[in-house]
Amino acid sequence: MGINRALGDKLVVIIAYCFIGCFALVCLYPLWLTVSVSFSSEQAIARNGYSFLPQSPSLDTYKYIFVNSGMRILKSYGITIFVTVVGTTSALLITSMMAFALSLKKLKYRNFIAFISNFTIIFSSGLIPWYIVSVNYYGLKNSIWALILPAVFSVWNMFLMRTYFSSISPSLYEAAEIDGANYFRIYLKIALPLSKTALLTVGLMYALSYWNDWWHALIFINDKDLFPLQYYLYNILSNVNAISSGRIPSGASGSITLPAETVKMAITVITIGPIIFLYPFVQKYFVQGIMAGAVKE
Amino acid sequence: MSSVSKELSDLPPKYSKGFLYEMKKNIILYLMCVPALLILILFSYIPFSGIWMAFTDFNVIDGIFGSKFVGLDNFKYFFAKNSMGWQVTYNTLFINFFSIILGIIVPVSIAIFINEIRNKTYKKISQSMMFFPYFISWVVVGAIIYGIFSTDVGVANNILGYFGVEPIRWYSEPKYWKTIIIFASVWKWSGYSSILYMAAMSNFDNSLYESAKVDGANKLQQIYYLTIPMLKPTIIVLTLLNVGRIFYGDFGMIYGIVGNNPVLIDEVTVIDIYVYQSMRTLGFSYSTAIGLFQSLMGLILITFANKTAKKINDGEGLF
Repeated sequence: MGINRALGDKLVVIIAYCFIGCFALVCLYPLWLTVSVSFSSEQAIARNGYSFLPQSPSLDTYKYIFVNSGMRILKSYGITIFVTVVGTTSALLITSMMAFALSLKKLKYRNFIAFISNFTIIFSSGLIPWYIVSVNYYGLKNSIWALILPAVFSVWNMFLMRTYFSSISPSLYEAAEIDGANYFRIYLKIALPLSKTALLTVGLMYALSYWNDWWHALIFINDKDLFPLQYYLYNILSNVNAISSGRIPSGASGSITLPAETVKMAITVITIGPIIFLYPFVQKYFVQGIMAGAVKE
Repeated sequence: MSSVSKELSDLPPKYSKGFLYEMKKNIILYLMCVPALLILILFSYIPFSGIWMAFTDFNVIDGIFGSKFVGLDNFKYFFAKNSMGWQVTYNTLFINFFSIILGIIVPVSIAIFINEIRNKTYKKISQSMMFFPYFISWVVVGAIIYGIFSTDVGVANNILGYFGVEPIRWYSEPKYWKTIIIFASVWKWSGYSSILYMAAMSNFDNSLYESAKVDGANKLQQIYYLTIPMLKPTIIVLTLLNVGRIFYGDFGMIYGIVGNNPVLIDEVTVIDIYVYQSMRTLGFSYSTAIGLFQSLMGLILITFANKTAKKINDGEGLF
């Protein structure tokens, strides 16, 4: 009996190691493939197909991209960085101010304001009214603000921050209030410094969503000079994609030059570059954020 | 500050409990909510007025409220026999249903198995690897999927060729793409969701496992009789949240993967994508109507899901 049990337990552990190991590889393999292809030579890829290790490794693809579309990519990089920096900063300010106010029990109408926010999650007017209002009344068509404003406030992130703020003891505030500080000062001088981790976590979540956003560009932007990086990549891929369906009239596909395999993958690597470099450092803050969001107050 | 509160305390008691009193007292805090509220009003509440378009035959000259009222005609057209309505609703529900099912099984298995791993480095590295897909955009996922399924150079055909199978022209065969999209969704979200389950598991009472061991329960029995039942509330809440959103397709995911490939798109068009496409071809009124149908179904389901969650979790809802 005892031996059987020990054997069975060992088997469970072995299966655990295998399952986790395999799934982890499945998650990382495509990324590795992308990087590996981007460093391969085009001829080798055309001959042998994609492979796990770079074939006749070279930097030619990156040189080629830099010479041919360097300006375009730099411009898109600029747009993405601008949107991410400005968007994240304003989002953090807007979100944390409201989260702070709603974390205070003394605020009489806080439940009403929370309800107004929650309702937008449960029910929305849909894409078309939102689009028409944004384009006709706010003039967001082909404006860089179209990439920032609609995503500048997330109700989820606000509630996440409120949970953090609620854990600060209100007696700290009361002391400052007696000293004559108003609540904006208290927010700046006491609440924010005490919630640095929360700011970092939520800030990173906003930054990631701005960096990865291309949907707003698809909807609002026609002007090539305003294409963010992700949308630039999307355009390249979706042309390739349409042509490989074989349904595009041959005349039309003749006029579009297919970017080579290595070029596509290199642009993909350029797009996710900063994420790959920052990932090891920022990962734990995301885990914290998700866990804090999972635990209900 | 103090002079204001003194002034206010002189006021009759009835006034002091009212709206104006509260505004005066906490004006700074309310002002701090204004920017966020402004965004909500601009991008969520003002667009509500546009819902009226769903009941009209909208044209730009007459505007939203001047256009001809047509009642429910737009909705009738959506569900007419040969329209895309049923097809896109089916696609949405099909893709979401299987994503939800696999989106429970895979992350829960990950959470349970990772709990059995004692080697800290192995645990840490594999966890980081599994979480990575969450960080990349659907466009990048689309590029990766192209690398796997492209006809001439893709990995899938390479592997098939290894076994002597003829290469498949994936990008002109619609039948594979629902499956590919479901797996892509599971691939991207599993690492993320498994963290939610691990968070729940970290709160489990260890002494239960100790006494189970004393009673002679093996690991499999511990998982089956302890871990899974204790994970149930988390599973139910997360599932209900997803069921509440089952009428919403992931626009970014499907457009990022399939792009504007004319052969594949019909097979995987979900309601959101149909709204976007018909905005250009079938007009604003019709597409607003579809959007409204989607929002209403969402509202009904999320209310229902919330009620169910409250019943199961002793009065605690989803939000």
